[in-house]
Amino acid sequence: MDLSSMRLWTLGGVWVSHAVHTCNAPVLPAGRITALQAMDFWKKHFERTGVAEPDQSSQYIIAHLLGAKTIESLEHGKLAEFLSHEKTEQMWKLCTKRLSRMPVQYVIGEWDFRDLTLKMRPPVFIPRPETEELVELVLTDLEMKPETGVSVDTHPTCLEVGCGSGAISLSLLKSLPQLKAIALDQSQDAVTLTAENIMELGDRLQIYHLDVLTAVVGLCSPVSVLVSNPPYLFSEDMASLEAEVFRFEDHSALDGGKDGLKVIKQILTLAPRILSNHGRVYLEVDPQHPLLIQRWVKENVEELRYIETRRDITGRPRFCILQKEKSNQDRELAFGLRN
Amino acid sequence: MSRLLPFISCMYSVSSRVIWRASPSLPPLLRPLPAGQTCVFAAGKKELIDLPVLNEDELEEQFVRGSGPGGQATNKTSNCVVLKHIPTGIVVKCHQTRSVDINRKRARDIMREKLDVAYKGELSEILVKKKESVLRKQEKRRKANENLERKKQFKEALAADSKPWNDTV
Repeated sequence: MDLSSMRLWTLGGVWVSHAVHTCNAPVLPAGRITALQAMDFWKKHFERTGVAEPDQSSQYIIAHLLGAKTIESLEHGKLAEFLSHEKTEQMWKLCTKRLSRMPVQYVIGEWDFRDLTLKMRPPVFIPRPETEELVELVLTDLEMKPETGVSVDTHPTCLEVGCGSGAISLSLLKSLPQLKAIALDQSQDAVTLTAENIMELGDRLQIYHLDVLTAVVGLCSPVSVLVSNPPYLFSEDMASLEAEVFRFEDHSALDGGKDGLKVIKQILTLAPRILSNHGRVYLEVDPQHPLLIQRWVKENVEELRYIETRRDITGRPRFCILQKEKSNQDRELAFGLRN
Repeated sequence: MSRLLPFISCMYSVSSRVIWRASPSLPPLLRPLPAGQTCVFAAGKKELIDLPVLNEDELEEQFVRGSGPGGQATNKTSNCVVLKHIPTGIVVKCHQTRSVDINRKRARDIMREKLDVAYKGELSEILVKKKESVLRKQEKRRKANENLERKKQFKEALAADSKPWNDTV
C-alpha cells in the first residue's frame, strides 16, 4: 500500500487512515468516537465506495449495535454517547461486511416482516416488503364470512411452497391462532432457517425439505390455502441484478426460467390436488405475469378459476388469487345427474 | 410542528420511479375503526379517543421501490411511507420501523391525530391530553421536591437533637 493512495481523515479530532485500495477497509480509530460520528463516517465511506443506500445501511447497523431496530426508536441522546472499544470494533466489522455489498439484513443477521423479527442468513432469500401484502390478502379471506367462497374452516390449514426464512407461514400463524401450516422448501438452508425462526409457533408448523411435487404425494389431507412467493424472475435478467441480490441470495429462489413461470406453473398444475374445494391459491409474481397466468390457467388447469389480480403498494400488478372449483363433471356425478 | 411538509423533502434519487397513487384499499387489519371506538397509541398506552375516520379515497400513498419491476429483483431497506391527505394537504412521513406494513398503519394513526388537531384546534383531544400530561408531570415534580425538603428538615432536626457521643442519625 503506497502512501500516494492513502488519504487521511479526521474523525472527531482523531486521525484515521483510509486506504483507497479496494482490499483494505478503513482501520479502527485510535481514540474514542460517538455513535453519531461512527455512523457519519461510514455513511460517507459507503458513498465514496459506491455502496447502495449509504445512509440507511449505516443507520440500521448502528441502531442494531445499540439495541434498537431503527435510529428513530433510539433513546434521545443515545447517538451522542461515546462507543465502547468493543462496540466500535463491532461497528467496523459489520460495516466492512457491508462494503462487500452484503445485504444489511445478512450483516445484522435479522430483519422484520410485519410484526415478526426473523433471523436472516445467506443464502436464504430475504423477505421483500411487497410480500407483507400477500399475507394481508390471505388474512382478509380467512377472517371473512362464507360469501367469499373460501370454505369457512374452524381449523384452516395452509401450505406454503418455498418458505425461505419462514416469513409468510410464521406471519400467518401469528395472526391466526387457529391456523395450522405446512411449509416446504427445496433448500436445506431455508428449512433450517425457518425452523430457527419458529419460536412459540412451533406446534402449529410442519416444515419439509421437499419440492412441491413430492409433497403432493405425501399430503394427508387437502388444505384451504396454498400460498407462495415462488422464484419469478426471468433467467435473462439474473445477470443484471444488483450486487446485494446477485452475490448473496440463492439464485434458485429467484430464477423462474425463461418466462419466469417455471415454478408458478408447477404450483398451479398441482394446486387442485392440494386444495379442498373452494380453497384458494395466493401467489406473488412479476408484474408481467397476471395476464399470462390468467390465460394459461384457463387453457391448462380445468379446476382452477382465476379470481383476481391485486396490486402492490407501488401500484404494480403483483398478486394472483385463484380458486379451486371442482369440475362440472364431478358435480353432476355427485348429484346423480348422469347415469 | 409544521403540518405542511414541502414535497421537495420527499423526493428520492432520480433513478427511482416515484408513483403517487390513490391509496390501495386496505384489508381490515389496516382499516381504522369507526369513530367512537377508535384507538390511538399514545406513549405506549391505548386510549380511546374520538379521532376522525380516514377515508382512503382522500389519501395518496407513496412508497419507492426503484424503477425496475421491484419485488424479488431488488433488496432495498428503505421503507419510508409518505401519506398525503388531499383535502387538507397534510403530509405524514413514517419510517419508525423496519416493516412497511407497520409504517403504513402508523402513518395513518399519526394522520388521524394531525387531522384531529387541524379540525378541532385547541379543542383537539390530542392537545388537551398533552396539556394534562404536562400538568401531571409538573405536579409530580412539585410533590417530589416537597418531600425532599421535608426529609431534609427532619434530618437536620434529628442532628440538632442528638447527643454529642451519638454520631449516627
